[in-house]
Amino acid sequence: MGKRLLALLAVSTALIAVQAEAKTVIRMMHQGDPGWVSTFGEVAKRFEEANPDVDIELIYAPHDAYNEKFSAAVMAKQMPDIMELDAPFLANYVWSGYLQPIKPLIDKDILEDMTGSNIAQGTYPIDKELYAVGLTDSSVVLYGNRKYLEAIGARIPKGVDDAWTREEFEGYLEKLSKLGGVKWPIDTFRGYGIKTEWITYAYGPILQSAGCDLIDRNTWKSVGTLDSDPCVDALTMMQKWVKNGWVVPQSSGTNQFFAEGHPAALAFGGHWFYAEAAASMKDDVVVMPLPKFGPKGASPNGTWIWGITTASEHPEIAGKFVSFMLKDKELREHAKETSGYPGLKSFAADSPLYAPGGPMAVAFEQASKTAIARPPHPAYPAITSAFMGAVDEIFNGGDVKAALTAAAEKIDEDIEENDGYPPFDEQQ
Amino acid sequence: MSDLAITAMQTELTRERSAIRSLRLVQTACILVIALVIVSPLLMLVVASLKDDRFQILADMGSFRAFWVSNPTLSNFWEVGNFSGELAFGRYLLNSLFILACTVGAGLVVNSMAGFVLAWGSLRGRALVLSLVIALYVIPQESIIMPLVIMVSRAGMTDSFAVQIVPWVASPLYIFLFYQFFAQLPKELFEAAEIDGASVFRIYRSIFLPLSLPALATVSILMGIESWNQYLWPTLVTQTDYARPIAVAIATFFGQDSIYWDRAMAASVLMMLPILALYLAFQRWFVSSFVGSAVKG
Repeated sequence: MGKRLLALLAVSTALIAVQAEAKTVIRMMHQGDPGWVSTFGEVAKRFEEANPDVDIELIYAPHDAYNEKFSAAVMAKQMPDIMELDAPFLANYVWSGYLQPIKPLIDKDILEDMTGSNIAQGTYPIDKELYAVGLTDSSVVLYGNRKYLEAIGARIPKGVDDAWTREEFEGYLEKLSKLGGVKWPIDTFRGYGIKTEWITYAYGPILQSAGCDLIDRNTWKSVGTLDSDPCVDALTMMQKWVKNGWVVPQSSGTNQFFAEGHPAALAFGGHWFYAEAAASMKDDVVVMPLPKFGPKGASPNGTWIWGITTASEHPEIAGKFVSFMLKDKELREHAKETSGYPGLKSFAADSPLYAPGGPMAVAFEQASKTAIARPPHPAYPAITSAFMGAVDEIFNGGDVKAALTAAAEKIDEDIEENDGYPPFDEQQ
Repeated sequence: MSDLAITAMQTELTRERSAIRSLRLVQTACILVIALVIVSPLLMLVVASLKDDRFQILADMGSFRAFWVSNPTLSNFWEVGNFSGELAFGRYLLNSLFILACTVGAGLVVNSMAGFVLAWGSLRGRALVLSLVIALYVIPQESIIMPLVIMVSRAGMTDSFAVQIVPWVASPLYIFLFYQFFAQLPKELFEAAEIDGASVFRIYRSIFLPLSLPALATVSILMGIESWNQYLWPTLVTQTDYARPIAVAIATFFGQDSIYWDRAMAASVLMMLPILALYLAFQRWFVSSFVGSAVKG
């Protein structure tokens, strides 16, 4: 009896082992809040039901430690098949050889459904190939408190082409600073801190609108661009706002636009901020395009998108899962609930928040008219780090020209140390 | 003594008493202010965990409403108390407790034995080993973390409980703490036991260890806090839900676009409780150990 039992046990163990081996395991590294973690889990289950020979293993990494977690996976030779990545880091990952072109792996209807901004955030500038795809994108708009704007008689722009000019914007800031009930005319979300991507993401377009950039996108040199006169002028303007006490200080957090008494009159905030502001202020929130600080309008884009790594042994199955995920109805519903900014045209048509006439329509209009991707260069981690440091120094009263020159030199040094990140150096 | 002198002395005494009373009042006020500064974030944490609207919690921050809840609810605690599913915070809490118990339990044995051998053992080159132990203490954990990740992944230990326990069991700081404590105990204790025929292990287990309750309590608390607050290491070496500790799980609430303050606060309260209980259980010995160290210099 005992021997039979043992034999049965051995046979069933062997069968289980064979079954387990027969399954293809696809590992996906992602970040996200509880809603997203749960949604990804549900999508994986649905995919596994439809494809019983595939096992989707989800690897969660906290948002603020994502890059460290990915670096550790690279060093330990445990790269996942699919990875979520922040769009501006794409060039660095492709240059490092971590990602493979995604076009042949993704369903054609998804590729045709991508907005221009979505394609731009997933494209590597050297070979012009698509390396990542996303359901969503992002933008920053100017939120206003209707009561305060009416009190100063401010003009409410109807669309992107109608955005405030620099003179109008600064004039309103001054008027708001004198209006009763307003403690700070604007919240530029310094509360997000200096170690997040916010500074480069949100303030970079101010430079681009003013007529300069973080780096010259043809020569890939920062000195002469980041410390050029238009950039010095733009950051001197922002320093003035801080010096005048017009900007919510870092220590006051990120809730002053809708906190009790509404101490901040305007908010230079991400599309996600709408949910927080509207929950408290309802129709008193006015959504406006970013002001034009110079010859042209500019707004940021880019968010967390999906790429397939070069380590994947089953890239076709990984691509099949990414396509399945981006089409998943429940996932799209969750994205809508969280004010997800559309990166696919079909998702935009199905998002009343961003559709024409919707409260955030102007934000979506920016994607096709003013969106500028952050520099798609492997040196981006060094670019963003140097710029964040410079802005922090400037906001704390430092010399604008000196801070920008130091940052530009730091960026150029990184590029030189890496021999120009070939073949980026050949673009010159 | 004349009446005048007595009256003057009494007046002086009254003045001194009044000065002492005023000083005590100032001292009490200062202590209260310090206590308030320390307790207020904890109070805010508990109050916020009883609110069910994350946007309201954010709107209340920075005002006195952050310390008041009109309709308290335990719904956040129910939500983070799951033991299964995608976000099984109850399970993550148990994972952390298991890792804490194993790390502290094994750490007390290993570090105390090492400390004892360095203090009383007959090991050759003890002084050199002790210097090396002290030298190791100055190396920050962050500087060795990546090589350590590679080592544990080559050993096939990732995504397990063992990978969160084994590397942190032996610690130069705790070995040195035990060494210092054991070295201060009278030599006669060791010699008398040796004459009675006790082995070194018997002397350690039956005589020195029972006498080292303050050191054991101190190491338990410090090691417990260190293990409980581990964030980067488990982030790097855990992949799935299986062995994920609560510190990593709480980070889920701090998303890319929004922060779920309601559930983050409830999970933080739950995370705070075990370590608070550990401190309360051992605080008598913990304090006496610190006082003892101070007196002995």
